[in-house]
Amino acid sequence: MWRVWLLFDPRRALIALFTFLFVLALLIHFILLSTDRFNWLGGHAAPSATAQHMSTLPDAAK
Amino acid sequence: MVDEDKRSLSGLTEREAKEFHGIFVTSFIIFTVIAAIAHFLVWQWRPWL
Repeated sequence: MWRVWLLFDPRRALIALFTFLFVLALLIHFILLSTDRFNWLGGHAAPSATAQHMSTLPDAAK
Repeated sequence: MVDEDKRSLSGLTEREAKEFHGIFVTSFIIFTVIAAIAHFLVWQWRPWL
């Protein structure tokens, strides 16, 4: 495996890798922030998917 | 001596390539362990499956 560094210049490979990982991380974090369930700055606890469905049941029973 | 000085496509010698590979693998393992810990903590907070 070490022979890849005879083919690819480590400096360019590292810049490419870090750029890719940074953009990917930014993308994933913003996608998560845009959701209710995984937004850790929203301030309100998002109910789980099952709890959302269950919450209507007591009302229907009345 | 000829082999020692032989330059490759990337400009590295075999010795340099091996040295860099060692650092790269170590860094990759550390990164993976940190990422695994982060995923474990997020799963504890709110599982996604």
